Amino acid sequence: MRLLTHNMLSCNIKGVANGFPLRLEAEKWVEKEVELNADFLRHIFPKIEWKALAGAARAVGYCELPEEADAAMLDSEDFLRRFHHALLEIHVEEGALFCPETGRRFSITKGIPNMLLREDEV
Amino acid sequence: MRIKVSDAFYGWIRPDNIVFTSVFPFLVYCVVGGLPFPAPTAPRFLSDLQGHSEQGRWSFMILRFVGSASKYNQESLQCQRESHSSADFSSANANGSSEITEPVSPHGDSTCSLSIQSTPDIEKKYVHRVYDAIAPHFSSTRFAKWPKVASFLNSLRQGSVILDAGCGNGKYLGFNPDCFYIGCDISPSLIEICASRCHDVMVADAVNLPYRDNFGDAAISIAVLHHLSTEMRRRKAIEELVRVVQKGGLVLITVWAVEQEDKSLLTKWTPLFHKYDEEWVKPSSPVRNNPVNKLESIPELDESCRQDTKLTTQTCNELLDDKLESMDRIMVDASISSATTGSLLYPSSGQTETQQEYFVPWHLPYHRAEINGASASAVETGLAKKDDKKGAMVYNRYYHVFVEGELQRLVSGIDNASIVDQFYDKSNWCIILQKS
Repeated sequence: MRLLTHNMLSCNIKGVANGFPLRLEAEKWVEKEVELNADFLRHIFPKIEWKALAGAARAVGYCELPEEADAAMLDSEDFLRRFHHALLEIHVEEGALFCPETGRRFSITKGIPNMLLREDEV
Repeated sequence: MRIKVSDAFYGWIRPDNIVFTSVFPFLVYCVVGGLPFPAPTAPRFLSDLQGHSEQGRWSFMILRFVGSASKYNQESLQCQRESHSSADFSSANANGSSEITEPVSPHGDSTCSLSIQSTPDIEKKYVHRVYDAIAPHFSSTRFAKWPKVASFLNSLRQGSVILDAGCGNGKYLGFNPDCFYIGCDISPSLIEICASRCHDVMVADAVNLPYRDNFGDAAISIAVLHHLSTEMRRRKAIEELVRVVQKGGLVLITVWAVEQEDKSLLTKWTPLFHKYDEEWVKPSSPVRNNPVNKLESIPELDESCRQDTKLTTQTCNELLDDKLESMDRIMVDASISSATTGSLLYPSSGQTETQQEYFVPWHLPYHRAEINGASASAVETGLAKKDDKKGAMVYNRYYHVFVEGELQRLVSGIDNASIVDQFYDKSNWCIILQKS
């Protein structure tokens, strides 16, 4: 699971008012280099909830992201590199995601989050 | 009096029938008590009942398959029966098009708050479990990219985030290398195949996507919605696709169509809604002997397979299923009604009913059946049958095939989605929506 994907995930249990962002606990992760695409980063930046990204990055030990970010920073190559690394190059293999409201745990196994709910949660 | 009962199979109970009065209470006991049915598989039960030709006029009744006795108390069973029956019945209206009827409940007006996001048993058994069992084999046959889907994906701007809900083996993930794809599917087995190809995927339910609003640039739902067994769930899945894309985002949906291009493969399918009525079915009718209505053995494969003995079951399956996927289906009644004067399954008033609920078989060759996977216990649990003649296990997948205009009708209730394109392509109904 990349942190880009994590930035989209939300707990959808019935009755939960705000299931985003899911708190990440990572037990195992890998880093895989991939080519930086500045256009893509500029396109996706407005979609990203920055605090959630920064928090998830810290959970995998990457603390190079600023606490806050604005579009002006996209002109900086250094910022782009950090943004790119956090968003696309970190893959959480084993761990869990926790709903901020209910604490409900969603497991991540072999890089795959299991977001299925139980009968009583829908 | 006719009582409509929903779920695995549809039928009408005729209380004046001796088999009904003797069998029904026992079956009710089985259901309420959570006991397995006296037949190994629901489809076999269907064919066994239909084999009773003397009682052929009465309608058989198949009760809900109860997966686990402890899961349901009687109230919840009753509740589920109602909620799932409410959208499971189509009947012809005066114009001959299908519409949803209110449930005829023997339980009065009990209120039911069962969520539409709760998975009906027919999907659990004949979609989820089947795909988990056949995943590797199924995946090996899913490689051709449909041109219309390809052109949609290629039309999206560079850098788009594309959400594939019901991605299967991930056939379209990464198709457009300029875009970022995120896939989900209900089948862990299929998702593992996606993940092994380094895609960003998760196990999730298309009826309840675990995504926040407005994130994607586009979403696709390719041959997914026809596995949802109620109209409410199908509509909810479309609402989810619209919810998760940004304003102005596009959604492509394709589903199998009732209206076929090539009428040659119908007999491979089992229709799930049978009506027998004394006025319609005469003793001399060929209906009872029609192999279409029986599932005791899978008929011979396509002509091309029969003639070419070198073709393996696997190749035949691929040919068959690719043809099916390109949508060759006819209404089950066509072959029947042609044998008799007048219409057998249609009221004499001339109203027509379109068969939309089917089991579509999947042949999993023995040498492809995973030893430690779901297929190992499939025969014991009745999920599959063995066909030694073909050297394959036969699974059934549930389908609700769509009629012309049905997608549009589902979308019409969604305020923030407008139709930007709609077309019929290789026996699929397709629609492109834009979120406003």
